[in-house]
Amino acid sequence: MLTRIKTDIVVLGAGPGGYAAAFYAADMGRDVLLVEMDNLGGVCLNRGCIPSKALIHATNVIDDAKDASQFGVQFEKPKVDLDKLRKWKDKIIKNLSAGIGGLAKKRDVQVLKGRGYFEGEKILRVETDKGQKFIDFEYAIIAVGSSPAIPAAFDLGNKRIMTSTEALDIEEIPKKFLVVGGGYIGMELGLVYASLGSQVHLVEAAKSILAGADSDLVKPVLSHAEKIFKSVRLNTKVAKMATKGKQIEVSIEDANNKTVELYDKVLIATGRTPNSNNLGLKDIGVQLNDQGYIKVNDHQQTTVDHIYAIGDIAGGILLAHKASKEAKVAVEVICGKNATAKFSTLPAVVFTHPEVAWCGLTEQEAREKNLNVKVAKFPWVASGRALTLNKQSGLTKLIIEPETDRLLGVGIVGHHAGELIAEATLAVDLGITAEDLALTIHPHPTLSETIMESAEVFYGHSSHMYSPSGSDKKQPEYA
Amino acid sequence: MDFKLPNLGDGVEKAIVSTIFVGVGDAVKLDQPIMELETDKAVAPIPATVEGKITAILVKEGDTVATGNHVVTIETNGGAPQEPVAQNTAPPQAAPIQPSVQTPVPVATQAQPVQPATTITPMVANSAQGFSSPTGAEPPCAPSIRKLAYDLGLNLSLIQGSGRGGRILRSDIRQYIQYLQQLSVTPQQPQPVETTASTPAPKKSESIDFSKWGPVQEENVSMMRQKIAEKMTESWTQVPHVTQFGEADITDLMDLRKKYNPIYEKQSAKITVTVFAIKAIVAALKAFPVFNSSYDTEKQVIVYKDYYHCGIAVDTEYGLVVPVIRDVDKKSVLELSQELQQVAEKARDRKLSIDDMRGGTFTISNLGGLNAGPFTPIVNTPEVGIIGMGRGEYKPVINPKTKKGKIRLFLPLCLSYDHRVIDGADGARFINTFIQALQEFPESELEGVE
Repeated sequence: MLTRIKTDIVVLGAGPGGYAAAFYAADMGRDVLLVEMDNLGGVCLNRGCIPSKALIHATNVIDDAKDASQFGVQFEKPKVDLDKLRKWKDKIIKNLSAGIGGLAKKRDVQVLKGRGYFEGEKILRVETDKGQKFIDFEYAIIAVGSSPAIPAAFDLGNKRIMTSTEALDIEEIPKKFLVVGGGYIGMELGLVYASLGSQVHLVEAAKSILAGADSDLVKPVLSHAEKIFKSVRLNTKVAKMATKGKQIEVSIEDANNKTVELYDKVLIATGRTPNSNNLGLKDIGVQLNDQGYIKVNDHQQTTVDHIYAIGDIAGGILLAHKASKEAKVAVEVICGKNATAKFSTLPAVVFTHPEVAWCGLTEQEAREKNLNVKVAKFPWVASGRALTLNKQSGLTKLIIEPETDRLLGVGIVGHHAGELIAEATLAVDLGITAEDLALTIHPHPTLSETIMESAEVFYGHSSHMYSPSGSDKKQPEYA
Repeated sequence: MDFKLPNLGDGVEKAIVSTIFVGVGDAVKLDQPIMELETDKAVAPIPATVEGKITAILVKEGDTVATGNHVVTIETNGGAPQEPVAQNTAPPQAAPIQPSVQTPVPVATQAQPVQPATTITPMVANSAQGFSSPTGAEPPCAPSIRKLAYDLGLNLSLIQGSGRGGRILRSDIRQYIQYLQQLSVTPQQPQPVETTASTPAPKKSESIDFSKWGPVQEENVSMMRQKIAEKMTESWTQVPHVTQFGEADITDLMDLRKKYNPIYEKQSAKITVTVFAIKAIVAALKAFPVFNSSYDTEKQVIVYKDYYHCGIAVDTEYGLVVPVIRDVDKKSVLELSQELQQVAEKARDRKLSIDDMRGGTFTISNLGGLNAGPFTPIVNTPEVGIIGMGRGEYKPVINPKTKKGKIRLFLPLCLSYDHRVIDGADGARFINTFIQALQEFPESELEGVE
C-alpha cells in the first residue's frame, strides 16, 4: 500500500534554510511538511557552525589562559579531556536539534525522516525506514545544502584523510596534522587543532588565506597562524596523497620545490559541493548551473515556478544566514508577496583568531570594480577596551562613498568581530552616512566604539587617533 | 480688489500656474483655493484673502508667475473694488505659502495624518534617471522600506529621500504613493519643461525568462535597432494604417528595361523597377497631393509639400535605413538610377548622414529583390504614405472576346497610408493612378541616353 500525504508546502532539508522556511510558512498559516534524511538542523547545527564554534570556544579558553601570563596570571598547562569536550559539543547539538523538533511540533509542522526524490512536478517520494511515502504538494522549497568536496585524487578511503565533518568529531589529537585549504573552514579547524596540541601545517594554493576578505583584515589572522602553526605555505599545492602505514604520504609542491611529507592526519578543506544529485531534479525541469547549484531567480524560484530553492543549494555564498534570509523570501513569494533577498546586506564572519567579519562592499571589490571609495581605518591599538582585553590586534575600517559620505561596507578584524559586524550590517543596510555613525553615541569603553571612531577618522577628528588636518579631510555637515 | 500673489516662500521667486479652480463670475469665500501653483519644491493652493466675486482672471494655466503679480480681480461684497491704489503699494496681506505637505525632518518619521483635500508634493528625484550613486549603490533606505517598495513595485530611485544623506523614509514613500494616485485621478496639465523630468518613467514591460523553455542567447540592442523600434512603434501606434493592394502589369515596362539597360550600363547605371516606381509615384503624388503631405496635430493643419523627395527603404546588415532622394520630379531616369545606386552603397557602408535621411515626402520599399510577396508596409512618419512592392509574377490573362490567353508579368503593390488624412477612396484612386503610370510608362523618359 502506498502512503500518500497531501500538503500545501513541502520543504526538503531541515538546515537553517529549510527549518526557517517551514516554520515561517507555518506561521503564515500554511500547511507544511518538512523532510530531512538526517538530524534536524542541517550541516550548520550538526556538522558546521555550531560544533566548530563549541570547539573554538574551548580552544580560545586555552589560548587566553596561556596569554594571561602576560598580565601576571599564570595557569598550569591545561589538561584536555577529549571525550568530555566531544560530549559537551554533542550535547549542545542534541539540545538545539531537539529544540527544532519541539518548535516544529508546536507549529504543527509535520517532520518526515527520509530521503526525498521528485517523482513529478508535484510529487515527492520519500524513502523512510517505514517504506516509501508519496507527498502531493502545491509548492516545494528545496534546501538540501552542500557537502564537503574531496578531490577524487585524495579520496583514498583512508580515515586519516578527513573533511570538516570528521575533523569536528575530534577522535584524537594527531601529532602531525596537515590542513589543505586556507579558507574559513581550514583556518578555523587548523587553529582548533593547533590549540589542542597538534603540529599544524597549512597549505593553500592561492596567494593568501581567507579569499574574499580584504588583505589588511587577513593580516592579523595570518601572522597569528604563522606563530602557532608549524608552517604556513601559500601558493602551494598538494599534488598527491598515498597511504603509508599509519600515516599519509603527501606530495607538496610550490613554484620551486617539491617535497614528500608524512602526516598523521590530513584535513581537506578545499571547498564544498551542492547536494543536487539524486533528487530527480532534471526530470521535472529544475535546471542546475554549471557548478551543480540550482538556478533561481530573484524570488528564489527555480525553473519550475512552484518549486523554490534556498541556501547553499541555490548557490552564491554558502552561509547559514543567507539560507535563512532566502527562506523568508521563498515563503513570502509563495504567500503572494513580492519579495527578494537581492538588496540585503550579507555579513560574513570567520571565527579565526582573531575573528574577521565584513559586510557590504569590501575594499578589494571596490578596487576590482574601479569604484572611487574612501577607506577610514581605526586600529585597535588606539582602543582602550582592546588593550584592557589584551586583544589589541584588530582593525575596524569603513568603506565610504566620498561624494555622499554613505557607508558602503565595513570590515573588522579582532576580538568578537562577529558580534560587532551586526551594527555595521544594520548601518550599511540602512544606507546611513559616516556622519550618522559618528553622531551616534557608542558606550565607553567598548570595542563598538571603534566603529564610531572610524567614522570620526573619516572626518579627521577621532579622539583617540590623531590625524594631521590635511586638505582632503572632509568636514561633516554638523561641524 | 486686485488679488496679488503673496510671498511664495523662502527662496522661491516664481511658480507655474498648474490649475485654476475658479472662473469669472464665480463667488469665492475667504480661504477658498483660487488656483494651484507649482514651484520646484511643492505644489500649493493659493487661497482667497477676501470674500467676493471673481471679475477677471489675468493668468492661464501653464503661466509663470511671481510674488506680487496681479492674477485675479475679486469684487468684494461691498460692491466697488476696495482701495485699489493702496493695495498696490501695501505689502501682501496673506501669509507666505506653506508647501501643502511639509518636507519631513528626520525626526518626523511617524505617520502624519493626510488631509484628503491637500495637494501632494511630488517628492520625486529631480533627474530623469532618478537616484544614481557614483559607486552604483541602491538608494539609501531602511531594509523595511526597501521591502515595502519592492513589494509595491515602486522604483526607489525615483523617490526623493528626505532623511540625512537622501535616505528614503516611510513618509517619503507615503507621499510618493499619494502623488501617484493624484496623478492617476487628476489628468496632468502639460508639464513645464523644468518638471517633466520628474515624472516617473513609464512602466517597462516585464522581462520574461525564456531560458525556462530552452537555451537562449541575448544580444544587446544597437542604437540603430532602438531607433528603428522607437520609430516603428510611434508610427504604428499614432497612425491608423490602411493597406491597399494592387497589381501592375509590368510586361511592357520590363521590355523597355531590357531594351535600354545596355545603353544605360555604359553610363554605369542600371534601370531597376524602383527607378520606374519613383517616376510613377511622382505622377500619382501630383494627382493626389494629399499623399505628399504631413499632418501637424499640434497646429491642426495638413502641410502640403511642393517638392517631391522620395525615401528608399534600404536593407543593410545593421538594419533598415531610409535615405532620401531629393527632387525626384526634376530628375531623369538616368540620374535617378545613378543616385539610387549611390545612396544604397552609402547606406550599406554606413556613410549616410542624418540629413541624407531627412525630409522625405513619400517612401518606396521594394522587397521584390528578396523574392517576397506583398506585405503591409508601415508609414514612415511624418510622411503619410508608403508603397511596397513584391516579387513580379507571371499570370495568364484571358481576353474575354477572343478567349485567348496571354502570359503577363504582374508586380504586386501595397500602399499603406495614414487614414487620418487620406480616405479609402483616395487610396484606391492613388494606387490606380500609380498602376497606370507604371503600365503606360512613356518610352520618351528613357530616350536621350547614349
